[in-house]
Amino acid sequence: MTTIRRRLTTWYTVALGVTVVAFGTLLYLERRQSSLRELDQRLGLEADLADHWLSESYNVLGRIVATQGLNRALDPGISAYLEAVRDYLVVVDTTGQVLALSESARTLTAVDLELLTAPLDSLRSPRESGTLRLGAPAGAVRYFAMRVEKAGPEIGGVLVATSARQVAFGPTELLRSMLFIAPMVLIGSALIGYWLAGTSLRPVQGIMDEVEAISDGRSLHRRLAVPISGDEMSRLALTVNGMLARLERSFDSLHRFTADASHELKTPLQVLRLGVERALVHPGVPPEILESLDETLAQVNEMTELVESLLTLARADEGGVPLALEQHDLRDILSDVAETAGMLGEATGLRVTSAMPDSPVTMAVDLHRIREMLLNLVTNAVKYTPPGGTVGLELDEADDAATISVRDTGIGIAPGDLPHIFDRFWRADPARSRTGERPGTGLGLAITKWIAEAHGGSITVTSRPGRGTVFSVRLPRRPGVSALDVAPDRR
Amino acid sequence: MKVLVIEDDRTVGRHVKRGLEEHHYQAELVDDGLEGLRLASGGRYDLIVLDLRLPSMNGLEMVRTLRDRGTTTPILVLTAQDAVDFKVEALRAGADDYVTKPFAFEELLARVEALGRRPKEIRDPVLRVGDLELDTATREVRRAGGTIDLTPKEYTVLEYLMRHAGRVKSRTLITEYAWDYHFDPGTNIVDVVINRLRKKVDSGHARKMVHTVRGVGYVVKG
Repeated sequence: MTTIRRRLTTWYTVALGVTVVAFGTLLYLERRQSSLRELDQRLGLEADLADHWLSESYNVLGRIVATQGLNRALDPGISAYLEAVRDYLVVVDTTGQVLALSESARTLTAVDLELLTAPLDSLRSPRESGTLRLGAPAGAVRYFAMRVEKAGPEIGGVLVATSARQVAFGPTELLRSMLFIAPMVLIGSALIGYWLAGTSLRPVQGIMDEVEAISDGRSLHRRLAVPISGDEMSRLALTVNGMLARLERSFDSLHRFTADASHELKTPLQVLRLGVERALVHPGVPPEILESLDETLAQVNEMTELVESLLTLARADEGGVPLALEQHDLRDILSDVAETAGMLGEATGLRVTSAMPDSPVTMAVDLHRIREMLLNLVTNAVKYTPPGGTVGLELDEADDAATISVRDTGIGIAPGDLPHIFDRFWRADPARSRTGERPGTGLGLAITKWIAEAHGGSITVTSRPGRGTVFSVRLPRRPGVSALDVAPDRR
Repeated sequence: MKVLVIEDDRTVGRHVKRGLEEHHYQAELVDDGLEGLRLASGGRYDLIVLDLRLPSMNGLEMVRTLRDRGTTTPILVLTAQDAVDFKVEALRAGADDYVTKPFAFEELLARVEALGRRPKEIRDPVLRVGDLELDTATREVRRAGGTIDLTPKEYTVLEYLMRHAGRVKSRTLITEYAWDYHFDPGTNIVDVVINRLRKKVDSGHARKMVHTVRGVGYVVKG
């Protein structure tokens, strides 16, 4: 969510930044162009005035060029007027020799003057403007050159020039204000963009929250409120609702399936059970028959256990196995299991130890499930520990959780097998079937893991082949969880 | 005491009916929900054993209907669903107790006895077999005046065998009673408990109480 918001803001800001820069550049170029035009107009006007002055003087006086030896120059009376021009002004004769200079043009070096008069030598049109680069301090200049035709045969042309520094680097004022304003605009727009992105994503956040609340598997009948706006959000809500409806249908059929399967599988087991039981307690049945009846009953129990584990896992997938939570001292459960473990160990020549705190470790747990989980773990430990080994049970309490560990000195689990041991029907050795020396349904650890997780906890395993295995179940205290109002199961 | 058994599976129904009759109940069996409802509403029975899944009627509906009609006969519900919420629903609908299929007949019997309206026999809380005594109230075990210290599981197994003194109980039945069928020990844990009991109960006494029936199970008799 946040990333989309950030990404939107970033793209928005980048797009705006590009726009601002492009706009600024265009504005800047346009401004520069127009100030050049203004400058050219001014220079042109001055050149026209000079041309006019020279032509008028020629009309009145007839001769305006005076010769002093080799030097030819404009008549001082006429050139005095031109000297007053503040820009560079040069008047040349038809051979390109300078006849008059304005005051400022006289400050130029001979080289610069040469450069400045060059355009007059090669005029391709009667009027021409351009930019020239002179030496310091004049620098770049803008000039306007024109032929003078009505001031007698000796006058060739006139050129007016002025420093182009102001225009060559463009309107610096404009540049400065743009450099100042652009970052502010960008920061402002980034903030607005962030806010806008947040606002437009808020309905998505709302939909996400609602979907999260629905998707726990027990609220699938709920639907999202569809905004009446008819925009993308209402289409999204409609799409999600359609999906929820399909999900609900498939969950319903799964639910029906587990209910049907419960009935269809358990009723025949019930028939078997009642029949075997009646025969078993019937007086006068010969011992050989009783023995096989007892084996049948054990198989019925194993089958029942398998069916119930499968149904429990199926319902757990569906998210629908509530726990009968009640406050229990975990030490009582552990002692009970430890006693059984001791008996199991005695049968196979193992030592069973248990360690627990002195004070009660009371938590809201499902007694039957926790006991089932621990019995699964100790049965496994005993099953896979050779005679003479040790099985240890340990209960530790921290502030926010209790940890129960079942430790053995057994054959261990190969590292490659560790990720699979909680899988359903998984067996380390495929040849070790139900009829093998260590039988089991293959669902024990899957159920064990589910029980730990259903209590909000977790189960971890560490094992070293040949050295032993430790299963640790961590059960957190959940302040929000209180015991369900449920009649205790007296099974 | 008259018990009405409403169960659509005829085999289960017959076993329950016969088992109850063997324990001196008068039992009647119907396999149809509507017929069951008609009979149950009459108030002629002391207890109704009802399968929640019936062909012509939902069992939960039936419990609600009976309670709405003012029938107060205790109802024991049989269900294949062991989900906690389902049981809660059954109890809320007005059932008095439930048993989850597949159940042991003894379990059903215990619930029927508990719900039955017949005046409770004042049962002696002390079980006696010869000079062996087990007080179910204080959980104390004595033999020939001397107290015997038992662990919880040892006590449970001894109580079970003493309650059915003289009758052979198979290993599976004992395991099931002391743990439950969720527990598959994978080894003969019952033999371990019996050995311990023998040491505590029989050693030093000429007359043995705990007997092995080879290949079958165990029996306590004086």
